[in-house]
Amino acid sequence: MAVIDTAPETVAAASEAPLGERVEPTGFAAVLGTGDHKVIGRLYVGTALVLGAVVAALGLLFSFEGIATDSVSIFANDTVVQFWTLMRLGGVFLVAFPLTIGVAMIVVPLQVGARAIAFPRAAAASYWAFLVGAGLFVASYAINGGPGGGRTEGVNLWIASFGLIVVAILLAAVCLATTVFALRPTGLTMDRVPLYAWSVAVAAVMWILTLPVLIGMLALMYVDFNHAGTSFGDNTVMFGQLDWVLRNPQIYVVAVPVLGFAADVLATTAKARIAPRAVAQGAIGAFAIFGFGAFLAGASAHDHEAWVVILLALIAVVPVLAIVGLAGDLFRRGSFALNPAVVSAVAALLILLLTTAAGALGALMTSDTYGTIYDLGVSNGAVLASLIASLGGITWWATKVGRQQAAKGPALIAPLALLVGAAAVVLPDLISGLAGDGQELYASWEGGIEGLNIIVVIGMVLVILGLLASLAAYLPLLRTPDEPADADPWEGQSLEWLAPSPPPFTNFDEELPVVTSAEPLVDLREEK
Amino acid sequence: MASDAALALPPAPEPMRPRVLLVGTYLAAGGAFMAIMGLVGLYLSARSHALAAGTAWLPDGGQIPLTPSNLAFGTMLLSAITVTWAVDAVGKNDRAMAYLALGMTLLFGLSVVNLTVFLYKVSGIGVDTPMGLLFYVVTGAHLVMMIAGMVYVLAMTLRVLAGDYRGPNDREGVVAAAVFWYATVAAHAVIWLAIYITK
Repeated sequence: MAVIDTAPETVAAASEAPLGERVEPTGFAAVLGTGDHKVIGRLYVGTALVLGAVVAALGLLFSFEGIATDSVSIFANDTVVQFWTLMRLGGVFLVAFPLTIGVAMIVVPLQVGARAIAFPRAAAASYWAFLVGAGLFVASYAINGGPGGGRTEGVNLWIASFGLIVVAILLAAVCLATTVFALRPTGLTMDRVPLYAWSVAVAAVMWILTLPVLIGMLALMYVDFNHAGTSFGDNTVMFGQLDWVLRNPQIYVVAVPVLGFAADVLATTAKARIAPRAVAQGAIGAFAIFGFGAFLAGASAHDHEAWVVILLALIAVVPVLAIVGLAGDLFRRGSFALNPAVVSAVAALLILLLTTAAGALGALMTSDTYGTIYDLGVSNGAVLASLIASLGGITWWATKVGRQQAAKGPALIAPLALLVGAAAVVLPDLISGLAGDGQELYASWEGGIEGLNIIVVIGMVLVILGLLASLAAYLPLLRTPDEPADADPWEGQSLEWLAPSPPPFTNFDEELPVVTSAEPLVDLREEK
Repeated sequence: MASDAALALPPAPEPMRPRVLLVGTYLAAGGAFMAIMGLVGLYLSARSHALAAGTAWLPDGGQIPLTPSNLAFGTMLLSAITVTWAVDAVGKNDRAMAYLALGMTLLFGLSVVNLTVFLYKVSGIGVDTPMGLLFYVVTGAHLVMMIAGMVYVLAMTLRVLAGDYRGPNDREGVVAAAVFWYATVAAHAVIWLAIYITK
């Protein structure tokens, strides 16, 4: 019997025993000393949104400079590399990862019927490590550190803080994956795990298998920078050593939960069981596997022309298409209702489809597109798809994340603005890259084709508007409603909708039913 | 009739605790192993490029003597046996054998740390060359993994000493520590072959 197979039959002991013994902390202890996955998740979400504002502002400034590089010079030649790397790495490691982790940390234990996240102290430690790491990461740039920085202490701080951020992400990944693998209730076998939780688990496993390679490289850079400076630690090429985490296929691992979120939301909204479910799980798992890009650590442009890299990029489109196909089938068989989360799910799927299709095309034309702004387009696409899905997730699970439903108007506008904005940010970069215009990183930032860069500016403005609309939509989450929010506002399918809204410290007030299918709440309704 | 049948059934087994620690350890060990493998991959790639360019890989005056590296690998293999012995002993609730096996595992771990440090002393390889840089970072990263594994084994030893883990269904922590240790041994095997043997 496999290790993870024991959980459904045995978890009851662990998940039921502490019910009466655990006391919910209050005051500062409820935040600073908490092991409650919901509080930790909210902290992650809040921090990612604040950092997202910084990164979005930088993106807007870069796109402005791209409109007319001759007359507009926002970034000086000696600092452009630092700001550029802050924007690129920040988008992935300060926004996309923590936002995904935050939503997952709130939702996944509820979805799998766990009373708590696995290793709650480690989950809390991951957040505080992330917070400290992110603060030092930004501070390292402020003291002239980071790739291209002129101050030794700043560069050292940048490497150390970046490593701390990655360690924090890995810690969170271990907690999330373990929760799914080992803390499921009776009957919730792996093939019945909700698709969002499944997608988070497989994504977390891929993070655990790939991001340690990044830590190894950072260690290498640190030693080299302080001793030899032969190749890895050369400050001017430091970013180039790490850019494999920002390219396809590796960048796709941050977007894996997009597929699970879309499948869960669309199936629930359509009021239909997703079928064949194994295809959906397989597609999500395959997309995660195709995102394994750690073998390209330290690779050259020539290595990216290897058949295996091209093949991975080509077949990465297939799982996304499979989920799109299953979503279409759901709407053919089920009903359709327009709600903000559906718009988010469709928007995130479309952007991910565009991204993977662009990644496939780029792989076929590596000699033309490698190192150009084309790579930026693909990377931004994956990050924005992840962002749309995570923000949509907060809207969908609003009563579990906060105290009541999100405001419907802004919540509807947000994904639409993000969809159009993301397309406007990504497409011009792809076209510029194909036209051979615009190196990805250059001392005098040129962006892509100047005329197209106006569209990028519009896109960035729309993305920022989408973020602001999301924040406006989330305001009600902070207010206590007059009447308790509905535990199951969407007629949900999975166990999180059995938890009260907002969920108590131990997540569920009552004993969970024995799960007999992938949609236990549908079964309960059918029994009635 | 039905109640008679129920009375005839043996009592239900005690529910097992979910193997959270074991699953988490598998994941953590996998991550640590991948970090080492990534670095070994960079070492092999850099060596391959250097040799293809016709430059010497091992710096002048540098050497990787086989005696301490082979001894270290042999000791690691022995430690894999002793940690398995510890798991078995805890499963049989044989406390004396468990203490002995866990203690020997820690002792073997310390020996490998000592051998690696000795290797550093006699190798004469500076960190200011590509080979030296990768050599120290790869083996240094493995030392960190090994020390983490030893801390894990030590923590479980203390728990066994405190009376925890007393049978085949109650030894998760020791099994988890053993899993991490196996990953450490496996990583050392790759380093031994890729760096110490083929250099």
